[in-house]
This record gives sequence, C-alpha cells and structure tokens, in this order.
Amino acid sequence: MISGRILVVDDEPQIHRFLGPALSAAGYEPLRAERGDDALRQAASAAPDLVLLDLGLPDIEGQEVLRRLRAFSEVPVIILSARDQEAQKITALDSGADDYVEKPFALGELLARIRTALRRKGQTQPATQQLDFNGLRINATAAKAELNGAPLALTKREHALLLLLVRNHGRVLTHRQLLTALWGPAHTEDVAYLRVYIGQLRKKLGDTLSAKLKTEPGVGYRLEE
Amino acid sequence: MANQDDGRPDPDALLASAERGSRGHLKIFLGAAPGVGKTWEMLDAALAKRERGLDVVAGLIETHGRAGTLRKIGALELLPRRAVPYRGQTLEEFDLDAALTRRPQLLLVDELAHTNAAGLRHAKRWQDVQELLEAGIDVWSTVNVQHLESLNDQVARITGIRVAETIPDTVLDMADEIELIDLPPNELRARLEEGHIYRPDVAARALRDFFREGNLGALREMALRRAAQRIDKDVTHYMRTRAIPGPWPVAERVLALVGADASAGNVVRHAARLAEALRAPLTAFHIERTNDDARVQAALDLAVQLGGNVVTQNATDLVRAVLDYAGQNNITHIVMGRLPARRWRPRLRLADALTRQSAAFALHFVPVPAAPAPRPAPARRKTDFEPYLLASALLGVVTVIGVAADKYVPQEAMGLIFTGIIVAMASRSGRNAGLFSALLAFLLWNFCFLPPVYTFSVADPRDVVALLVFLLVGVLTGQLAGRVRQEAGAAASRVEALRRISLFGQRLSRAATLSDVLASAAEEAASMTGSGTVLLHGPHGLRPEASRPAGISLDEAATAAAEWCFAHGVETGIGTSTLPSVPWRFLPLSSNAGCIGVLGAKPDAVPPPLAQALAALAGQTALAVERARLSLHTARAQAQEDSQKLRNALLSSLSHDLRTPLTSIRGAAETLTQAGSALDEPTRADLLASITQDTARMTKFLANIMDMARVEAGGLTVRQERVKLEEVAEAAIARVSGALYTRVNIAPDATYARADPALLEQVIVNLLDNAVKYSPPDSHISVNAVRAGNKLRLSVADAGVGIAPGELDAVFDSFFRARRGDRVAPGTGLGLAIAKAFTEAMGGTISAQSPRTDLPADGMPGTIITMELPAA
Repeated sequence: MISGRILVVDDEPQIHRFLGPALSAAGYEPLRAERGDDALRQAASAAPDLVLLDLGLPDIEGQEVLRRLRAFSEVPVIILSARDQEAQKITALDSGADDYVEKPFALGELLARIRTALRRKGQTQPATQQLDFNGLRINATAAKAELNGAPLALTKREHALLLLLVRNHGRVLTHRQLLTALWGPAHTEDVAYLRVYIGQLRKKLGDTLSAKLKTEPGVGYRLEE
Repeated sequence: MANQDDGRPDPDALLASAERGSRGHLKIFLGAAPGVGKTWEMLDAALAKRERGLDVVAGLIETHGRAGTLRKIGALELLPRRAVPYRGQTLEEFDLDAALTRRPQLLLVDELAHTNAAGLRHAKRWQDVQELLEAGIDVWSTVNVQHLESLNDQVARITGIRVAETIPDTVLDMADEIELIDLPPNELRARLEEGHIYRPDVAARALRDFFREGNLGALREMALRRAAQRIDKDVTHYMRTRAIPGPWPVAERVLALVGADASAGNVVRHAARLAEALRAPLTAFHIERTNDDARVQAALDLAVQLGGNVVTQNATDLVRAVLDYAGQNNITHIVMGRLPARRWRPRLRLADALTRQSAAFALHFVPVPAAPAPRPAPARRKTDFEPYLLASALLGVVTVIGVAADKYVPQEAMGLIFTGIIVAMASRSGRNAGLFSALLAFLLWNFCFLPPVYTFSVADPRDVVALLVFLLVGVLTGQLAGRVRQEAGAAASRVEALRRISLFGQRLSRAATLSDVLASAAEEAASMTGSGTVLLHGPHGLRPEASRPAGISLDEAATAAAEWCFAHGVETGIGTSTLPSVPWRFLPLSSNAGCIGVLGAKPDAVPPPLAQALAALAGQTALAVERARLSLHTARAQAQEDSQKLRNALLSSLSHDLRTPLTSIRGAAETLTQAGSALDEPTRADLLASITQDTARMTKFLANIMDMARVEAGGLTVRQERVKLEEVAEAAIARVSGALYTRVNIAPDATYARADPALLEQVIVNLLDNAVKYSPPDSHISVNAVRAGNKLRLSVADAGVGIAPGELDAVFDSFFRARRGDRVAPGTGLGLAIAKAFTEAMGGTISAQSPRTDLPADGMPGTIITMELPAA
C-alpha cells in the first residue's frame, strides 16, 4: 500500500541510506536526488506528493531550488537542514516551504510532519464558510466563533489571526506571513503586535486549544493538530 | 574684501543693501543696564525728528512710573494700548494692528525684549517689530545688553541673575543703526540713589544686588564691545559696497612686528598686553630673512600662546609688506622694537616709513632689554681676519703693479680694477670684506694714483667727484655682492636641509617597524650633529629606545632636559632658554595624541638651519612613530578578527560535520527500532553498517580536532628516527578507505627519512584523504618519493579537481575548504592544516602544486602536494 511518493533531496548518501528504508517502511515510495538540478527534474517528471529538501546542495543553493520548484508546483515541501540559522529557515518558509525539521531529527517527528503536510494537501478546500477544529467552530466571513458551543468574543484582528492559524493548522506560519496577512506589508517587522494578539488568543481559547498554539522561537507560530 | 583689488564693489553686498531698501529701518538704543536713559534718549531724538516734520508716533513707551519720562512724551502722539485679559487680570500690551493701521513714518516701540501676553499674534515684541519693518514702517526701539541671547550666560555668571526675556542676536544684526547709551556706573548708581529709576525701597535692594558697581562695569563693557562688533561689521559692509580700501579703524587690531633681534619676545608680550587691554585680536607678523634664528620662532610661538595668530611672509620690501598687510587688515596698532641706532638698519627705515606713511596706525616702540640674551651661535660670530688680509694683499699687489706700470695704465683703469677686486671680495667673503676692500681701494687710489700722488689731497676737483663716485660704487657693489652671497649661502643650506629631510622621509617610509623608525631617526640626528637618540614615553616614563652611536647614555642633567622637553612640549638644552648648559638639544615629538617622546641630538652649536632641520626631523619622526604604532594596532586588530573568523569557522564546521553523521546514526537507529520488522535482512545490515561508518567518521573528526588543538597548544612531542617510507605509506593507505589502489613509487635512494613515524603516517593519511575527497572515484592516486640532495621529496598526487591558483597557499590554513559550486566539501577543513603543522614540527616543508604538469591538459587539473623531509 503506497500512500504517496516522497522526493528526498540531500547530497549526503548516509541520509538516503536510512531515509529510504524508513519511508518505505512507513508506506511511502522514496525518490532520491543528490543535486538540485536532478531534484527539479524529478519533481517535474515524477510528480512527487511531497519533497524533503536539504538546503545545502552541491550545485544549486537549496533556497533557489525551492523558488524554482514553486514556479511550477504547489507540492508540499519540508526543509531538512543542518544549518540551524533562523534566517535560513525563515527565508525558506517565506518563499513557500510548508515546514522544516532540523538535523539531527527524530524519525517519528519527521513522519508526523509528512503526514500533516500530505493531509493538508488533500484538504485544500475552497474557502469554506465554516471551519471546525477541535471544538472550535469559526465562521470565515461573519467574524463569529464558538468554542464548545459557547460564543467566543473575538476582536476583528483576533478573528482574522485565528482563522489564518486554523486554516493552516499543523503548519508553521512565519511572523512575516502573519504580519503581512493581518497588518499589511509595511508591518512585517512588528513582531510585538503578534505577541500581543497571540497572548490574547491563548487566554480566550482555553487550556486545550492554547496548548496546541505553539510558538516556534524566532520563526513564527504553529497550530498543532 | 574680495574685490578690493580691482576697486569694484562686491555684488553680494550691494544686493543685501537693495533688499533692505523696501523695508522699514530699525534703530536700536542699546543700554548696559536699566536706567541708563535709553527711553529718554529715544524720546529726545524722536522729538527732534518731529520738529523737522516727520510723522512720529509713540507706539509704546514704558515709563516705569518715572515722571520725567512721562513728561518727556509730552506732545508726541501715543497709541492707546490694547487690553488683554490674562488669568483674571487685564494686561496692557502694544497694539500691533493699530500701529499698522496708523502707519506713521516713525514708530517708537520701547523694550524690544518684552514677552507678549498669551493670545497676541506674536510671542515676542521683537516679532511685532519685525512685522512693522516688513510693512515699511521705520521703528526705533530700546534693549539692554543682558537681553541678548549669546550674552545671557555671561550675564548670569556675572550678576547671578538670569534674564528670562531674551532676543536672538540676529535681531541686533537686523538693526540698521545702533546707538549705544552709555552712562558710567557711578553716575548710574547716583541716579538710582536719587530715585530717578526705582522707588526708594526697591532702589536700595537693587543697589545691593544687580546694580553693584562691578556688575555695572562688566555689563557696560559688554554693551560697548557688542556695539563695537556691530559697528565693525557695518564698516566692513560699507567698505565692501564702496570698494574702499582700508584702513578703517573701528575695532582695534594689533600687529606685532617680529624680527630677528633681542626685542622680538618683548614686542610680542607688549602687543599681547595691548591687545588684551583693547580686547583686540593680535597678529604677529614676520618677514622671513636669512638671518632668522631661534628667537624669531620663540617669539612667534609666544604670540600663539598668548592667543594671537601668526603671519609670515616672504617679501623683499619690508616696508611695503607691512603697510599692505596693515592696510588690508585694518590694523590700528603696530608694535615694534626700538633698536639702538648704531648701524644702518632696515628696522629704522621701517619705523620712519611707518611714521611718515599714515596716521592710521598707532605706533608703539618697545625698548630692547638692557642685557640682551647672548646670540645663540657665538662661534659663528668670531671675526675671521683672513678675508681682510687677502683683500689688503690683493689691493697691495695691484697697486704696486699699477705704480710700476704707471705709464701704461691710465688711472681710471685702476679704478675699474679696484672695483673688480671689491666685487670679488664681497662675493667671496661677504659684505664686510667688500666694504673693507672698498675703503682700502678708495684710500689707495687716492694716495697712489690721483695727483698729487702720495698724498691724500686731491688737486683736480673733477677727481674729487670721481673719487666719491668710486667710493659710492664700491660700497654699493660690495653691499650687493655681499647680500647675494649671503642669500645664496642661505638658499644652499636650506636646499641641503630640504634634501636631507626628503631623504629621511623616504627612509622612514621604508621603515617597516617601530624600531626601524626609531633607529632611522637616531641615525639621522647623529648624522646631522654627531650623536642622536630617541626617547619614547611608555608605562615606565621616558625611556631611550634608539641611540647612535649605540650605547650612549644621558647624564642626569641631560635626562632632566629631556624630561622637561617632554613634559612641556618645548625644545630644551643647548641654544634654548631651558637648561642651555646641557650639550644635548631635545625636541618634543608631538603627535595628534599629544607628546609621545623626545628626539635628542648633540650638536656643537645650533645655527638656525640646523634648528630647522632638527625640528623637521622631529616632526617627521613623530608622524612615523604614530604611523608605525597605528599599523601595529591594526595588525593586532586584524589578528583578533582572524581568530574570531577561525572560531566562527570552527563552529560552523562542528555544526555541519557533527550533525550530518549524528542525523544519519539517529535516523538509522530509529528506523531499525521503529520499522525493524518491516525491513528485510540486507537493509537492516546496511543500516547497522551505516551507523558504524558514521561513528568512525565522527571519531576521525574528533581526532583531527584533538591533533590541531595539540599543535596549537604547542604540546606536540616529536621523535626523530630513521623511518622506512614504504612501511609508513602502506600503513597510511590501509587506513584510508577509497585509497586502496594508490600506487607507491619510492626511489631506491629515498628509502629512509628522518621523521616521527606516527606523525608522518598521519600526514600521509590526511593527504590521501584529501586526494580521495577531491578526485573522481576511479582516478589514480600515487605516493612518490625521490631524493634531492640531503632531503627527500615525498609527494601525493591525484588527478582530481585541482586547486584554484589563488588558493594554493590558503589550502593549508585551518578550516579552509575548497569550494565546489555553492557548497563546501564535507570534512573538517583541518586535514591539510594538520599535515602542514606536523611536517613543520618534523623540520620539513610542504607545498601544493596545481594543475599538474604531467597530466593531459584536457582532463582534470589534478594536484600534487609535496613535503620535503631530511633524508636518513
């Protein structure tokens, strides 16, 4: 039973050596690319369901691979990187990556992220009027929300922020993405706004939900499944 | 006075005047303190204007309840005040709109510094006045000097009272006319006591506080000075618009004429006192002459110390130069030395000319001190009789020949021959020898050739004229030739000094280190004088850093002179006024950061050219020392930056090279635990093998780091023994996976090397590792050894990607990794650095060559890394 084709792009043979069997065992079909040009070729021809992309490649910089990939494909991309610099991750997320894991990563976590990304890909619903998420019901147009049946009083901004997080649950939204969506491109550096609104949301959402609203330090926020 | 030369008015100044034309005129009555009578004076003048039919209106007059003032307004039309409600009371303010509507020719507005009540159009009364002026109405106003913003602090300091109401100084500059109302302090106090200004109770307090005599004196002086400055500006403006050349005496300006004589210092001191008393700027003026000595420089330095500025000019006509300068710069006082009239001197001519020339300057003569300081170079002054003897001998011989050949040589020709000798003597030995020759020739010619011969009397009156003309010509040519010689000599010595300095500059620019600079400086000082030394100030005080001849030491007195020189930044020792008995001359080395040390020289005497040369030497040395220190500092900063870069490189290397195997190990282990049962047997075995390999990779990485740490900590112990190269190479090849097919070619005479077997093996391992990493999998790698004299050349050659030409040396640096595209190859970047360190520890050398010359040009360039080791 094959539940998806996954293109692994990494120049380290040792990574392919264990990811191949691990992905196969989890029911995926692994594809292997060690160079950027090869990765783009395979992404175009083999139509993978997901791409695991290492940022340090011998021929093309990983960021560039991502940009070129995004020019023709909406395939979910999870960044694998030994580079722990925040800037790298954020740039990748801003230019269209869906998630990232840092080397050395736990296999279980990687597989969970892969599942989330694939599921989200399956449900790219047209903007529905109403979304349900763990007891939260949020109306997309009417600026209304209910938590476990009780109405939730949200300001306009809080509502917009919550809607964005719920729509992209399981995925990291960078500060820049959130700020651009809510406050416009002039406020992409005003991370303090976000801190305030996320704080307010956590207070209003109750313990269960606010525990799922995770801070990704230095990068952004993620509403976990 | 830019256009003074061509006598045309300055267009900018004309434009400014034209702009003023449409505006109303502002006249300000400026007073030093309340009560001096500004308002009174203003009213007085205004009444006089009204008498002459001018439409004068009193816009606002503050009478301060003084009945006299009130009466004075008398028949003048007075604008009603405007009532302004303010916090429950009504204030009466100047009615600007009423004044604009009334539109008189002349409006009086008292107390320019007044602050208007809130709610009026302008915050300040001077702004009201500005609007009136813009409307074309002439305004007269009054203000006390303490209200000027720039003087506010000063006034507060003097009187202890800070004035809240101030006007910007530009308002005063805006005035077309300023009238200073001046009242001596004692008279003002008397008026106060008589109750003319304040009520008696207020007056008594005021007398104690603000109106103290000292305060009033200071304020008065300020007012006078401010008005004078303003008037000074006016005059400059007037002169510019009309292209009138100076002098135009308004504010005082003092010029001190500094010459090479004993009075120079006194002239400057006197001029400075005069300038101080007049609150005038001081300029020390000097015309460069060949006989300038240290006293001139000292006097000019003194002028600077006393707050003056220094102007030196190079001019032949002293009088013209002084008059021009004084005229162009509105000099009002000229101070010069009075010299005893014992010799014909340009100074006397100058004094004469200045006295005659112009009544514009006050001339001050300063007496020469009673006991003039000894000339700094007495040796040079010793009379040398040789030229006089020579002149006498020459003239004597010519006379004897002339007398003997009396029949063939006309007496006029003798005159010409004598003139020739005079010129020759003057050019050879200077002016005095020339004059002496002229006099002697005059006597000889008269005595031996003019009838009656052998007497000093002359028969023919025409001969008397001829004789006098001869004397005159003789004296003049002697003078001229003498001066030419003197100037030529001075020019030559200046050229020599310049040449030396420029040579020294070249030498300094080549000096790489601080000690080179100091040695050069000491050597240069020694070549000028005999001995030279440089002392620098450090944490232990002043210490000699370089001396020529080496090893000379300063005695106690000389050390004291050097210390003094350093502490006070002045020249000390021989030929100066500080410790002149010390045979050394010390010059401060002054840099931007202050005095950094002292340059010493040991001359027999210090004639001015030598003093100048030494000063130039000190200046250049100071610059060079500073530059050397700066470059040292830069080098240190560079080293620090490098070590910072190294640390960053280490961190990024650790991050990459530890994380990748860790990821692989963790991934493989987790795959085995989580999905072990789903995997087939070969996959499980492969994952386990992967874990083992990555563990080995990390171990190697750590070993490399430890090796490098050992090298850098200096804890490397090297055994030197006879090593069989082949054995070591085989052992190394066995340790490097991927180097299995390496060929080993060892020449028969290169079998044994003197080296540490463990270190050598590690070097070869690292070189092979590197070769494998940068070569295609199937290419050939070889280890070769040949003998070169008493050395062995051991090389590792690959047919890989090669090294870029610019990076051949850098490959041996720590954390250097050749770039392949955007990504660096895996590895610590330490392998070759360790190889180099180990090789050098064994007394060998290592170098890289790429591309290889023995490979076909169309393939990969390849690399050869060669180490040279002692043969055994």
